[in-house]
Amino acid sequence: MFNLFFKTLRDKRYFILGWAIGIGFLGFVMTSFFPSFSGGQIDGLLDSLPPALQGLVGDLQDWKELPGYIGSQVFDIRLPIFISILSILLAIGLTVGEEDKGQLRTLIALPVSRRKIILAKWFSIVIICFVASLAPIIGVEVGLLTIGESVDQMVLVRLGLFTWLLVTALASLIFAIGLSTGKRAITTGVAIILAIGSFLLSTFAQAVDWLEPYEKLSFFHYFPAVEIAHGTVEWGNAVFYGVVILVSLFIALLFFPRRDVKSV
Amino acid sequence: MTAIIATKNLSKRYGNYAAVDDVSFSVHKGEVIGFVGLNGAGKSTTINMLLGFQHPSGGEVELFGERVTLPNAHHSHRRIGFATGDMSLFDGMTGAQYLRFVARSYGVSTNTELFKSLVTRFDPQLDKKLNTLSRGNKQKIALISAFMTEPELIILDEPSSGLDPLMQQHFIELVREASENGATIFMSSHYLNEVTDVCTRILLIKNGKLVKDIPTSDLETQAGKLVRVMTKERVTAPRAAEMVEAHKQTEGYVLEFIYKEKAIRLQEWLGTLPHLLDVTITDHSAEAAFEDLYQEEESENV
Repeated sequence: MFNLFFKTLRDKRYFILGWAIGIGFLGFVMTSFFPSFSGGQIDGLLDSLPPALQGLVGDLQDWKELPGYIGSQVFDIRLPIFISILSILLAIGLTVGEEDKGQLRTLIALPVSRRKIILAKWFSIVIICFVASLAPIIGVEVGLLTIGESVDQMVLVRLGLFTWLLVTALASLIFAIGLSTGKRAITTGVAIILAIGSFLLSTFAQAVDWLEPYEKLSFFHYFPAVEIAHGTVEWGNAVFYGVVILVSLFIALLFFPRRDVKSV
Repeated sequence: MTAIIATKNLSKRYGNYAAVDDVSFSVHKGEVIGFVGLNGAGKSTTINMLLGFQHPSGGEVELFGERVTLPNAHHSHRRIGFATGDMSLFDGMTGAQYLRFVARSYGVSTNTELFKSLVTRFDPQLDKKLNTLSRGNKQKIALISAFMTEPELIILDEPSSGLDPLMQQHFIELVREASENGATIFMSSHYLNEVTDVCTRILLIKNGKLVKDIPTSDLETQAGKLVRVMTKERVTAPRAAEMVEAHKQTEGYVLEFIYKEKAIRLQEWLGTLPHLLDVTITDHSAEAAFEDLYQEEESENV
């Protein structure tokens, strides 16, 4: 199992590196912009935005202090978009992507149980998601050094851990669908609907009244980054992501060992 | 003696289409089985069920006396080497990395005499990324991975389809050696020389059904004689003639057929021919007989 686990990490090394640099850079750039936004000089401009667009930039009050700014501008709005893309690419690549290329069949021909294949791949996902969650923290830290500011380290630890939970949950869910069905169209379709639907719900529910009741359906609803940055951690949200991860893993372990694997 | 492979009424259906239909056979230790049939006959689907890649719609597979199910198929994989002609290897690895990965999965080392001899024999490009290799070079690596663990059973699905004639010859020698060392080999192939050269038994599958199960030695003895006569006038072939072909040449009429009956009857028939110009009688090779078998199947399909 460790053989396959390390193989998967090795296969994905450039993927991890690329995404870590990208997400880290996002954290760095957004943090380094903080002084330009914290002075209040653009309040007038932002006040003039229509409510729907204000949903895209977040609550203006959060911009004035560092934890709120990092929570809203790095973790609340932008990161979920990148995290969703990462999760979709990672989970689809490790499941239907490998199956369509015939590589999953090559793996199954080895004396390794299907359950061990699932676990090895899933552990790789967990580690890759950890690196992807660590990257924005490092980016923010470098940004803070650049602008000569500091923030309570626990703010970043909490945000990092919740990001890890979010990305692992999303990737695990797509991973389970991919392994259980073996169908690229279904897996990609569900993943995109989930990611884009969640993003649209979270963004526009603040401004569109009829969307508000459905906001809880968003996968990102359970990651209130600004509140987490301010020290309010609802453990129910962590439990939600934990349950998604465990149920997804259970589904994969239940269905994948019992279904046909495609030949090329 | 427990069969190495045993299928009982094995079937695989996709809706109303039966890819494999009620196939039963056994393979015993040391046998080299040629599993043949036209494209789409059900060879790969059968192999997929043997290895637990796909579950049967009906019937069952036993390997080494244990019933194969999808969740437990890996139990027998430790004793099996497997390669296909279009095997998908892991693109990001070099050949050497791939073989080390496979060896570790089997709990064996690549630092063995067998491994070194396989590398010497096939001369693969081990230091290059697999996605940069030609099909033939990938195929060499797939074959090394199938044989390097000294498996008791080697399952091969059109294993030499990407190899050049020299490598194909190396492959045939390798199969022969593995068989001499006690391995059981089950291979599907389209290459008649391969099948007749190394296989001890031939299983012919057609439209998902097993239609022939014949020892290769029988194929040779049943191959008969290839008779070619040239006469001035048109004549009809003897009643026992098979695969009859007649055509006219400038010198006369040519009649060719396969004859498997007693030689005396053929001699009598030849004696009745008016104006016999020429006659040649040669052994009909097992390979040619096998080709006829294929053509029979193909013509029935048309």
